[in-house]
Amino acid sequence: MARPNIQIDDEVREMTEEEYEALLASGWTEEGSDGLAD
Amino acid sequence: MAIKTFTTGEVLTASDTNTYLANSGLVYIKQQTVGSAVASVTVSDAFSATYDNYKIIWSGGTQSNDTNNQLRLGSTTTGYYGAFVYSLYSSATPLSVGDNNENAFRFAGGGASNSAACNIEIFNPFSSYRTRLTSTNVVYSTLAGMYNGVLADTTSYTAFTLLPSAGTLTGGIIYVYGYRKA
Repeated sequence: MARPNIQIDDEVREMTEEEYEALLASGWTEEGSDGLAD
Repeated sequence: MAIKTFTTGEVLTASDTNTYLANSGLVYIKQQTVGSAVASVTVSDAFSATYDNYKIIWSGGTQSNDTNNQLRLGSTTTGYYGAFVYSLYSSATPLSVGDNNENAFRFAGGGASNSAACNIEIFNPFSSYRTRLTSTNVVYSTLAGMYNGVLADTTSYTAFTLLPSAGTLTGGIIYVYGYRKA
């Protein structure tokens, strides 16, 4: 799977492996939600 | 000078006009167009000593997932505390969830594939005072609520990052305004 994009000001690029690992470690998922009751 | 009272017959100079037209309470700082399918968007040079308090609005965009979007200051990933109070459209019963030392202000906004937005007030991000945040447009397709939080540190920040808890953001513009001090 391709890593998601990151935007820093006007620059949009694919995340580096390190950035992607940090994103996953923060709890981000490609699919899903925040787990609130709905 | 913050305000001036003009008197009848007084000449309105170009200088006065330019000065006092610019002396609005809410001052535009910058804007950032959000790209396509980004998992995070960082806005640099948003905060400075010029203002203590700020308003951040993101509108006109969408989210791939029906969920919240979060706000992180600088590169800080710990110490965010807050509470989100919300209700489902299908119920009159209020619900809530707490943020207890999270890695971001978790409920800065919300949205879905048809619309998404943030309406944020942020207090003292640049000073060495704990930064507080209020967000008033946390709206998904099934619920809506408001969030208040504090970042338990004294770091001075100039940048922030918006990031959804799942999926990506696309489009719209993030506007940053400062509340004029005098």
